[in-house]
Amino acid sequence: MSYFEECLRLGEWLSEADRRALYRYLLESNKENYKAQANLLLENSSLNKKIANGEVVYTVLNSLVTYKARKIGSDEFTSEMRKMNLIGIPIIDTQRLKKFFAQSDVDVIQNFPLAGENQESEGGFCVDTYPYYTLAYYANGGNPIKGLIKKLRTNDNEILTKLRTL
Amino acid sequence: MPITIPKSILLTPKVPSIAVVGLMLAQFVVFNIVNNPEPTCTLRVERPHHSTSIKESQNFDAIKLNITSKCTAPQEYTRITARIQKLENNREVTVSTFLSRAANSTAKVPTEATFKNLFTKCKFGVESSYRGSAEGFVILKGGKEVKVSGNSGKYEPENCSIGTE
Repeated sequence: MSYFEECLRLGEWLSEADRRALYRYLLESNKENYKAQANLLLENSSLNKKIANGEVVYTVLNSLVTYKARKIGSDEFTSEMRKMNLIGIPIIDTQRLKKFFAQSDVDVIQNFPLAGENQESEGGFCVDTYPYYTLAYYANGGNPIKGLIKKLRTNDNEILTKLRTL
Repeated sequence: MPITIPKSILLTPKVPSIAVVGLMLAQFVVFNIVNNPEPTCTLRVERPHHSTSIKESQNFDAIKLNITSKCTAPQEYTRITARIQKLENNREVTVSTFLSRAANSTAKVPTEATFKNLFTKCKFGVESSYRGSAEGFVILKGGKEVKVSGNSGKYEPENCSIGTE
């Protein structure tokens, strides 16, 4: 089993560093997939997909993209967990959507992991408040300059290398 | 002979009318407060503990913090920032500050939101005393915001030590 496959089973036991590295890994390894998904979403204003044990529905309404998710086989969707404004320039929107997809994939993987040995606790959908592609994440909602400094100091290369090679 | 009609005692108020209106208003306010109280929310922060489930499944030692927000009305989600503090030479030291997390309630239990993923690696075999704390807010269904904060109470020892941040 690759380390990525292991991550799909870790769910709530993914650490902060695991989640950030997973985001970066998904963004680079799914570049073409995400591009195709972004085009589909921009064309149809709606997109369904599956990741790990979750199902995600993306919607674009009035230039605002949102997503909600549910465990495969469940009736109950979460409320809209994240939103991002599109600016109407396709090249830029596609780039932004790729990040949004990688972020939502990490959110879903940690909440609806593939069945494994890890004990899953009951509860709702739980995510990092600020997306990894913003400085607000690194600053925990505070000063963006602090966020930039913290981002430059953050090094998840060890986990990223594990994801790329193992 | 002129007829004198006596003034009816029923027409003479014993209690001034302004007082009657005041009493009725007070009764209305008290009735509404008792029957329709403002929703309240509490944050239950459990004591940080050495997680055996992480040890069994991931094969590393970690101190885990479980947090639940509970409201008297259905909630949309709760957002918190949590931390673990440790006693070091009788001084409180923050050894873990978790980045802000948001948790949804579920259809099954719409008044509660549970936080997962709050754990930090530790060195097994070294005893340390910990306390968990968190603060944030709850957004109730309908959009009302309620501030919440809480801690796990007194410091409790665990046989696993987190290094200083």
